[in-house]
Amino acid sequence: MVDYAASRRARVRPRARVRESSYVRNLDWALLLAVGGIVAYGIWVVSGITKDDVPGNPNYYVVRQAIFAAVGVAGLIGMSLLDPGFWRRHARVVYGGMILMLVVTPLLGKTVRNTRRWIDIGPFRFQPSEFGKLLLVLFLAAFLAERGKAIYDRRTTLIAIGLAVIPILLVFLQPDFGTAIVYAAILGATLFIAGTRWSQVSALLVLGAFAATFVLWLGPSIGVNVLKPYQRERITGFTNPSRDPSGSTYNITQATIAVGAGQVSGRGPNGATQTNYNYLPEHATDFAFASLSEQRGFVGATILLLLYLLVIWRAIKVVTLARDAFAAIAAGGIAFMLLIQIFINVGMTIGMAPITGIPLPFVSVGGSSMVANLLAIGVLQSICVRRR
Amino acid sequence: MASRATPLRPGRFLPRDPRSEAPYRLTPQLAFRIGILGFLALTVFGVLFFRLWSLQVLSGNQFLQAAQNNQLRLIREEAPRGPIKDRYGRILVGNASATAVQVWPADLPHRGAYGELRRLAGILRVPLGDITIQIKKHRGDPITPVTVKEFVREPQIRYLYEHDTEFPGVQVVNTNVRRYPYGDLAAQILGYVGEISDIQLKQTRGYRLGDKIGQGGLEASFDKTLRGRAGLDQLRVDSLGRPISPIEPKVPFTPGYAIRLTIDAKLQRAAQQAIVNGINIAQGNKNWYAKAGAIVALDPRDGAVRALASYPTYDPTVYTTRKKKDLAPLLDPSVAQQDSFPALNRAIAGLYSPGSAFKPVTALAAMQEHILAPYNTLHCTGSLTIDGHKFNNWDPNANQWMTLPTAIAQSCDTYFYQVGKSFYDLPGSRQPLQEWAKSFGFGAPSGLDVGPELGGLVPTIEWRHKTFTKKTDPGNWQIDRLWKSGDSVQLAIGQKDLQVTPLQMARFYALLANGGKLVTPHVVAAVEQGGGPTGGPTQGPLVLRRFQPPVKELNLDPNAIQVIREGLYEATHSALGTSAGVFGHFPVGIAGKTGTAEKLIDVGGGVLRLTNTSWWCGFGPFDAPKLVVCAVIENGGFGGEAAAPSALHVFETFFKAKAGVVQTKKAD
Repeated sequence: MVDYAASRRARVRPRARVRESSYVRNLDWALLLAVGGIVAYGIWVVSGITKDDVPGNPNYYVVRQAIFAAVGVAGLIGMSLLDPGFWRRHARVVYGGMILMLVVTPLLGKTVRNTRRWIDIGPFRFQPSEFGKLLLVLFLAAFLAERGKAIYDRRTTLIAIGLAVIPILLVFLQPDFGTAIVYAAILGATLFIAGTRWSQVSALLVLGAFAATFVLWLGPSIGVNVLKPYQRERITGFTNPSRDPSGSTYNITQATIAVGAGQVSGRGPNGATQTNYNYLPEHATDFAFASLSEQRGFVGATILLLLYLLVIWRAIKVVTLARDAFAAIAAGGIAFMLLIQIFINVGMTIGMAPITGIPLPFVSVGGSSMVANLLAIGVLQSICVRRR
Repeated sequence: MASRATPLRPGRFLPRDPRSEAPYRLTPQLAFRIGILGFLALTVFGVLFFRLWSLQVLSGNQFLQAAQNNQLRLIREEAPRGPIKDRYGRILVGNASATAVQVWPADLPHRGAYGELRRLAGILRVPLGDITIQIKKHRGDPITPVTVKEFVREPQIRYLYEHDTEFPGVQVVNTNVRRYPYGDLAAQILGYVGEISDIQLKQTRGYRLGDKIGQGGLEASFDKTLRGRAGLDQLRVDSLGRPISPIEPKVPFTPGYAIRLTIDAKLQRAAQQAIVNGINIAQGNKNWYAKAGAIVALDPRDGAVRALASYPTYDPTVYTTRKKKDLAPLLDPSVAQQDSFPALNRAIAGLYSPGSAFKPVTALAAMQEHILAPYNTLHCTGSLTIDGHKFNNWDPNANQWMTLPTAIAQSCDTYFYQVGKSFYDLPGSRQPLQEWAKSFGFGAPSGLDVGPELGGLVPTIEWRHKTFTKKTDPGNWQIDRLWKSGDSVQLAIGQKDLQVTPLQMARFYALLANGGKLVTPHVVAAVEQGGGPTGGPTQGPLVLRRFQPPVKELNLDPNAIQVIREGLYEATHSALGTSAGVFGHFPVGIAGKTGTAEKLIDVGGGVLRLTNTSWWCGFGPFDAPKLVVCAVIENGGFGGEAAAPSALHVFETFFKAKAGVVQTKKAD
């Protein structure tokens, strides 16, 4: 890229060398401890949830999850050492890489339960759309930061939307509706933090609301089916769970029973019949929070929510410390990305959000999600270390 | 705002705005937006927190009750397995409904489960250990029932119904079991069905604990086709796990597809009977160790197997009733040996020396190599000495100059010793006889669509070298590892190391019958849907897939094949032909060759005895062959004595004709 004379001068301050001692001092230790706490807590919870899932090997998932966590922590440290400007300079590569991963997935991917989200690499399964979330945040932050004051321009917003729609569609077609929603939320959050005009933000909200209405209710009634019927049933089902308790709303019924049955102190790993007898489907991944609530009760669930709140709070704090627009937008995007995932996943198990298969950050069994989220925390740390 | 004026550089993906590099600061606007984000986060967590409070603390009791009374239970409804039919649609393997007793481990009482299971074991006469092992295996999956016994008899069922309150968690259900209307017909080919084992569960995908899976034969090799897809039923149960609502189907099952065989049940029955007849004849001739045999009947035009019999055999129903006494010959090695291994499919996995039945292979190979002129005569004598070893003819009084057809017809060993010696004397390192034998399908499995098939052995110089080493043969390894003239001589008449299966022999005779084409034998003709008992009577089955394995043209010399066919026809029709007494008066022209392979067997207690494997292979009608038959009677004496009349019986059934006079003779 072309360097301007002004920019050379301006770089002097943000590029101030980060000495090792200040690196350690400038890390957001509260954020690290909160994330570490969630990961450790998550592994402990998973050990109770999955003890009967693989016959004869009660520790199968725990061991895998611990390995993924270790990989993720290594990635986190690496990320925090990397200057966030790196992502900004290579924004095009970031975007191209993300699109490439998402295009390749359906070609190489294994069909699991009618979706192609995973690529098998050795004994592990790699889910590119999980890493795509972080890459989308970084790319949009770079793009919007480069636009500077042009951010107020309608064209900037439209181009940003156009660039984000491609990965959203690719993920949507996998099909993975939940992750597509997260991508869309990331787009909204980065635009919002970048300073898009209020009029445009509200127009986007209205447009989103209309799109949702169309996809869920209007479209089907005039014969345009964007979603597969089972997806629509599950999404609209949460508004009226008792409509078909054994069919499309079976999951939500069983999940709510599991959460409620946990009561204050939980039923423990052995007494949790909803989890152990498989009434609750996908209890290690999508419905991990329901299983947790059943086994560890209100106390256990609240501990997790408080830890999450701490993480989100620290992430938002990082936004205020950011040294430049890119870092601020990226931090805001990551914070919102985590928030929306937590809300959708927890909300769906307690009947407040539609059922879409997205993992609970740092807890659900699954390597890609674990590693990708830890990498995102790493980016937050790197922003925090190189603060203003 | 005036930002419209900012030029967007055309042609650039990310135009850079110099002003963005101005010192960055936290604008009030950004601070406000961060505040909104924070407020949103607080709201989200607040909402989640209060919802959890309401669910878990305020109405927790209610949900706990719902969980305890979770009455919805999804149960898998197994799909009926597809039938196996013969070529005319006769059901060889069908389904019958039976009553099974199942235990739901989750519903067993916490106290007294052991006592209950012990009582149950007593009633059903199942070892208690078997039940507890099964339940332990299902520990990770407490809502899939454990089948304790299929095929439970009426009085036991009635007892369980009368005392059902004393057996919480025990359920009587209807299930499908395999039915075999033809009893022991083609048992080794059909295979059987059983509960999936731990090893199979690890090796296969798409199966679950407690599933039934084909455990051998066609049931195993076509399991995916036959099994169909299980359905899901929903059931409401009370706290004891007893159903309180009728079963409500949720996902209907898909019945398995049918497979149609090339086998003709009638001919198969005849072939099985023919082995028994052959054994009886052999025993009548004081060959007391004749107890087993095999017959293969092939269509030489496309390799379709018409009959594939192995004796002794068994009725696969024993795998359903699972009585220990009936299963012992199949599962217990020592009992199996006593009963001559009824589970072994001798037609495809029995290895034998073919003896003289192999001579056409030698003849064809020699003519292809141009080292044998069929109409020049060689001297057939009572014995022949080669390199200092004396090799005997089966008929010590032979003394005649013979052409190839006569040598085949009278099965002159010394003639073929000379051919074998010519192969040995060929210069160079090639081993043409072995190479031709391999290209005719020997030494490797034929590719039959049901297993387990063995490939046998075509001995070569390299094989000798590899097999006899200091370790395996410490006394004579230096001599044994060499290929000697005697090895070539013995191979020429199909003796010593050569090992073949009856199916391989039938395949080679099919090649002679069809003029040089190597067929791929197969027993499955098609996969079908519907028809038979599951579809309506008026509509025929829908063929989903047809199997027509390739036929390989070997481009052999047609004259060479014709000469051998002549010899085979003389063997069954000329006065001195080895099986002329058996086939000479049969209304359809049959051509074929006897074989008698010497074998040392251990008759118990380490006593060795020399016996003969009795072979006959041939085809008919001579002009346009429609059927190849290969028969083996283990330890049955001369080929003309036991195997030839067995094969005749198969031809009689196939051509619906009777032979007038049958005279067996002690002829190789």
